Amino acid sequence: MKLNIEGLLVYFPYDYIYPEQYSYMLELKRTLDAKGHGVLEMPSGTGKTISLLSLIVAYQRAFPLEVTKLIYCSRTVPEIEKVVEELRKLMEFYTKETGESNNFLALALSSRKNLCIHPEILHANIVVYSYHYLLDPKIADLVSKELAKKSVVVFDEAHNIDNVCIDSMSVNITRRTLDRCQNNVDTLQNTIHKIKETDAAKLREEYRRLVEGLKEANVARETDIYLANPVLPDEILQEAVPGSIRTAEHFVGFMRRFLEYLKSRLRVQHVVQESAPQFLKDIFDKVCIDRKPLRFCAERLQSLLRTLEIADIADFSAVTLISNFATLVSTYSQGFTIIIEPFEDRTPTIANPVLHFSCMDPSIAIKPVFQRFQSVVITSGTLSPLDIYPRILDFRPVTMASFTMTLARTCLCPLIVGRGNDQVALSSKFETREDFAVIRNYGNLLLEMSAIVPDGIVAFFTSYVYMENIVASWYEQGILENIQRNKLIFIETQDAAETSMALEKYQEACENGRGAILLSVARGKVSEGIDFVHHYGRAVLMFGVPYVYTQSRILKARLEYLRDQFQIRENDFLTFDAMRHAAQCVGRAIRGKTDYGLMIFADKRYARADKRGKLPRWIQEHINDGSLNLTVDEAVQLSKHFLRQMAQPFRQEDQLGLSLLTLEQLESEEMLQKITQIAHQT
Amino acid sequence: MTSLSEEVLLVVKKVRQKKQDGTLYLMAERIAWGPEGKDRFTVSHLYADIRCQKISPDGKAKVQLQLVLHTGESTTFHFANESTALKDREAAKELLQQLLPKFKKKANKELEEKNRMLQEDPVLFQLYKDLVVSQVISAEEFWANRLGGINNTDPSPYNNKQEVGISGAFLADIRPQTDGCNGLRYNLTADIIESIFRTYPAVKQKYSENVPHNLTEKEFWTRFFQSHYFHRDRINTGTQDIFSECAKQDEKGLKSLVTQGVKNPLVDLQSLEDKTLDEGYGICTTQPSTSNANKSVKDSSNSAIIKRFNHHSAMVLAAGSRRGFSVSFIIFLKISSSETSSTDGNSRDSDFFQPPVKKVKLQEAIEFEDLQRENRPKTVPLNLKKSDRYAHGPVPLQSQQYTTSQDIINSVNYIRHEMANYKPSLTQVLSSTAATSAIAALSPGGVLMQGGAQQAINQMVPTEVQGELKHLYVAAGELLRHFWSCFPVNTPFLEEKVIKMKSNLERFQMTKLHPFKEKIQRQYLSTNLTGHLEEMLQTAYSKFQIWQTRRMMRKT
Repeated sequence: MKLNIEGLLVYFPYDYIYPEQYSYMLELKRTLDAKGHGVLEMPSGTGKTISLLSLIVAYQRAFPLEVTKLIYCSRTVPEIEKVVEELRKLMEFYTKETGESNNFLALALSSRKNLCIHPEILHANIVVYSYHYLLDPKIADLVSKELAKKSVVVFDEAHNIDNVCIDSMSVNITRRTLDRCQNNVDTLQNTIHKIKETDAAKLREEYRRLVEGLKEANVARETDIYLANPVLPDEILQEAVPGSIRTAEHFVGFMRRFLEYLKSRLRVQHVVQESAPQFLKDIFDKVCIDRKPLRFCAERLQSLLRTLEIADIADFSAVTLISNFATLVSTYSQGFTIIIEPFEDRTPTIANPVLHFSCMDPSIAIKPVFQRFQSVVITSGTLSPLDIYPRILDFRPVTMASFTMTLARTCLCPLIVGRGNDQVALSSKFETREDFAVIRNYGNLLLEMSAIVPDGIVAFFTSYVYMENIVASWYEQGILENIQRNKLIFIETQDAAETSMALEKYQEACENGRGAILLSVARGKVSEGIDFVHHYGRAVLMFGVPYVYTQSRILKARLEYLRDQFQIRENDFLTFDAMRHAAQCVGRAIRGKTDYGLMIFADKRYARADKRGKLPRWIQEHINDGSLNLTVDEAVQLSKHFLRQMAQPFRQEDQLGLSLLTLEQLESEEMLQKITQIAHQT
Repeated sequence: MTSLSEEVLLVVKKVRQKKQDGTLYLMAERIAWGPEGKDRFTVSHLYADIRCQKISPDGKAKVQLQLVLHTGESTTFHFANESTALKDREAAKELLQQLLPKFKKKANKELEEKNRMLQEDPVLFQLYKDLVVSQVISAEEFWANRLGGINNTDPSPYNNKQEVGISGAFLADIRPQTDGCNGLRYNLTADIIESIFRTYPAVKQKYSENVPHNLTEKEFWTRFFQSHYFHRDRINTGTQDIFSECAKQDEKGLKSLVTQGVKNPLVDLQSLEDKTLDEGYGICTTQPSTSNANKSVKDSSNSAIIKRFNHHSAMVLAAGSRRGFSVSFIIFLKISSSETSSTDGNSRDSDFFQPPVKKVKLQEAIEFEDLQRENRPKTVPLNLKKSDRYAHGPVPLQSQQYTTSQDIINSVNYIRHEMANYKPSLTQVLSSTAATSAIAALSPGGVLMQGGAQQAINQMVPTEVQGELKHLYVAAGELLRHFWSCFPVNTPFLEEKVIKMKSNLERFQMTKLHPFKEKIQRQYLSTNLTGHLEEMLQTAYSKFQIWQTRRMMRKT
C-alpha cells in the first residue's frame, strides 16, 4: 500500500498495516525532519524493521539532498541478513509499483572474513552492518570513517548498545599478550635494521612526515570529512609527533621500555585498582615515560607499519593492542579504570595476572557517531526505561517513544510466580540460592508446566553456574526424570557448537510433536540471538532475576562511575540491567500478533513495582493484580485457561480494524486519533 | 484310554488329586489325570487354557504342583511317590515350563487382541456388554466375524499401528527398589530393554558381544546398572567397566553430530555474531571461568549430567524418527546427504549465493502472514447459530450434486443480482390459495416442516434414555447385521445360523426392547421412540417368515 505519512509518500510492501507501524513511522519522520536523534521502543514482531526501511527509503527518495545514506546497524549476522531480505522485498515492491528499476544501492557487510572496503560503500544508499563497524574505533577507522555526514544511523536491537561501546574501548593485558608483544617489537627492530641497510630514504621520508605532524588528519577532521576516531584525540592532531619517538629506532626502544614497565606491573601479589592519572604518574616516576609520547603511540605505530610495508597486520595485533592502550590511557583521564588482578578469584593458587583497562563510559565510543551524523535512531523491542539510554550514552534525543502492541486478542500472558504450593517464597537471591525448598519448587513449576504447555518451553536461569547446580539437584531428586515423561530436555552448554546442535534437536522435537524443554541462560547467546516463534516457544520461564555478577571489580568500578558521573544509583542500574535481560528472555517467545506465549517470571521480586515498572510497556500493561505473587498451582490454572483460549482459531478477519488495518481503515478520522495514543511519549 | 493316538510325553504315577491316587499324563496338547484303575481321565486341561503353574516351596512336606487356568480355576496335583516325589514334580514342571509358553502365546495373543479391541473401542465394549454379558448371543458368535485378522496372517488394520516412539523417561521407569539387604532391585521389562537398545546402540552391541558368551543376561544388566553409564552423574573412571567404551562411543557420536553442524543457519550460534573484537579487547565478563584445569569434581559431574541429557534426548529423538536404522547409519546418511548438497550448490563462491535452506529460513523469519492479503480461494466459514437446524432442515428429495464453495458464492452472487434486478411480472403470480397453502406447508407443523417436529427428541427425552436408546440401536444393528449376513441361505451352516439369529432377535426384543418400552411408557414419553427399531425387527421377521415358508414348500 502507499501511505501518506505527514505529506511523505511511503511505499509499504504489504496489503495491511499495524496501527503501531504507522505510529512508529510518524515518530521516525519527525526525528528525521528535526535532524535529531531518537529513541524508539517497539515490541518485536510488529514489523519494526520494515517500517524503518520503508520510511527512510521514502525519505531518501523525497529529499535526496537532506538524507544521503542510511546506515543500518544490527547485532547478529542473522539479524543483518534479515534486514537485507526485507530490503529486497521493499525494493521489489518499488519496482512493481513504479514500474522502473530503481537505482538504489544497498550493501551488507558481515563477517570480517569477506570484508568489503570497496569505495562502493561511499556510494551506496544503504549500508547494513554490525555495530562494531561503527562503534569500534579500530574498525570504524577502516570502514566507516568516510561515511557522509548527512546519513541516518539506525541501531536496531540496541538494548545492549552501552555494553558494545564499552567493549570496543576496553583492553585486557596478560602475560601472554606481553610475550607476543615482545616478539612483535623484536620483529620490528629487525625489519628496521634491514630497511636501513637497503632503503634508508624511506625511513627519512617517514621522519619528515612525522615532523609535519598529523596535519592531514587535522585538515580532514576540521573540514569534516572523516568520522572522528576516539583513539585519536583532537589535541594530537595539531602537534607534531614528539621527538622522543620520532625515529623508528627510538620508537621501538620506547615501546620496549613501556613493555618492561607493564611486565613489572603484572608481577603483583594483590589486586591493584587505579585511575588513569595515577597510572601515568606511576609510569613517569618509575621509568620516566611522559604522557605526551604515550598519546602518540597508536598513530606512530600505524605509521611505522605502513612505512615498513608490513602486509599482515594481524601478526602485530599484540603490539597494536599495547599501543592502543598507551594512547587511551594517556588521553582519557576519566571514564576508564585500571585493575590488576594477580589471579582469578576462584583459583587463588594459580597465578594468572591480568591488567584490565576498562572503559566505564559508553558515551566515549559513541560520541563521534552522535556528533557526526545528523540523525541517530536507537531502537529495540526492549528499551525500558527509555530515559536511561540518553543518560548513559550522553546525547539529547528529539523524540523518545514507546509503542505498545495493539492486539485483537491478548496473546501474551505474563505471570509472576512468587510462591511454591507450600508457600515457600521463590527467589534466586543469594541467600536462598542453595535452598532445597526453592530449587524443588522451581522444579515443580517446570514439571507442572511441561504437562500443560504444548510443544516447546524455554526456561532461562540467571547464570550458567546456577543452572548447572539446579540441573544437578533436579537430577538427584528425580524431577528431571518426571519432566522427561512429558517432554525431551535440552540444555545450553558453554560450547557454542554443542548448544547449536541441542537447539536444532529442540526445534525438531517441537516440530514432530514430541515437545521439548530448553534450559538456557539469560545473557547467554541463546537469550540474545535465537527466536522461539510459535510452537518453538509456547512458554518462557524466567527462573530468578538475572542480575549481573556483582562481585566483579570491573562492574563495581562502573557502578561507582555511573553514580558519580550520571547520578544513577547502583541499584537502579543493576535492576535496569537485570530487567532488560529478563525482558529480552521472555520476549523471545512472542514474535508477532498471530503468535502466543506464556511469560512466567518465577521470582517474587518481580512483583515489586521497581522491578515491574522497568519492563517494557507492552509487557507491563498485561500484568494485572491477578497475575502477581501467584503460587505454582494458581499459575498453572491461569496458564491452562490462557492456552485453551489461544488454541481457538484466529483469523485475519478477527484482527482487521483492531490490530490490522486496511488503507481505508487507517485513513478514518477515528483511527488516526486512536493511533496518536499508541506512542507513549516520555 | 480314550485318545491313544495322542503322543504321551510324560507319565507320572502315584499322583494324587482330590485325595485320590492316580496317574498324570503330559501329552502334546494337554495335561490329563486319571484315577487309579480307571480307564478315563477325570481331569484334562488343554495347555492353552493354563495360565500358569505353581509349585509348593521346597521345604514343605507335600510336594505339589498347581495349575491355574485362565478362568481362574485351579487344579492341584500332589506327588505322592515318597522316594521320587520331588524328582517327579521337577520333571513335570520342567516339561510344562517348555510347553506352556508355546500355547500361551497363541492363547494370549487372541485374548490380548480381544481385550485390546474392547479397550480401544468403547462402542464395541458397550455392544459386548449388551449382547454377550446379557447372554443374548455367545462370546464366540460375537467374535466370530470380528477376529478374522487375528488367526489368519492377513494384516488387519489394527496391526498396522503407527510406530511408537520411545518415552523420554524410560530409564526413570526402572525404579530401583531396595530388597532389604543392602541391595537394589531393578525391574526390567522387554519394553525397557528394547528402548535401551534403540536409544543406545552401543549398549546393544555390547550385549550381543558379551551375552551369553561372557556374561549371563542378568550379570550384563547388573553391570549396566552399576556403571557410570547409567548413573549420569558418575564420571568415567574404571577401565574394567565394559560400558566405558559405550560412553566413549557416545562421546564420539555426540562429537560427530556437533562437528556436522546444524542445517538451519538461524540456530547456528557460532556464526551468530559478527565477531569483530580482537583478542585482548573487551570487558571480559568472566563470570567465574570454567577452564578445564581448575574444575572441581562436582562441576565436571554437573556438566557430565548436562551433556548426557542432551545426548539422551537427541538419541531418543533419533530412535523415534527412524526405526530400524542404527544411529551410526543415520549419522552417515546425514553426512553423505550434506556432502551431496554442497556439491550440487556449485555456485558457492559467488557473492550472492545463499544456501537455499538459509534463504527459506530467512524469508520465513521476516514474513508477516497477517499483513498480506490471503490469496487462497475465498471460502464461506460455516457459522452455525443453531446446529439442530442445520442437522434437521428440510431434506431435499434428491441427493444434490456436490457443489464447491466457489459455486455457492457464485450462486449467492447470482441470486443477489437477480434480486436486485427483480421486476415482478404481476400477470403471472401465484393464485392466492396456492400461496396460502405454500406458506402453510412451510410453517412449523406444515407438510414440508415435518422434520422439525422430530428434532425435538433431544430436548424432550432425558439424556440417560437417549443413551439407552443409542445402545439399543447399536445392539440391534449388530444383531441385524448377523441376521442379514446369512442371506442368501445356501449352506446348512447358514440355515442353522439364521434360525439362531432369529431367536436371538426375538430374545433381544423380549429382554431388551420391551423393558425399555415399558420404561418409557412409565415415564409418559412418546412410545414412538422404539417404533423404528420395532419396524426393523419386523422387517427381519417377515423376511425370515418368507424364507421359512419357501423352505417348507421346497421340502414338501
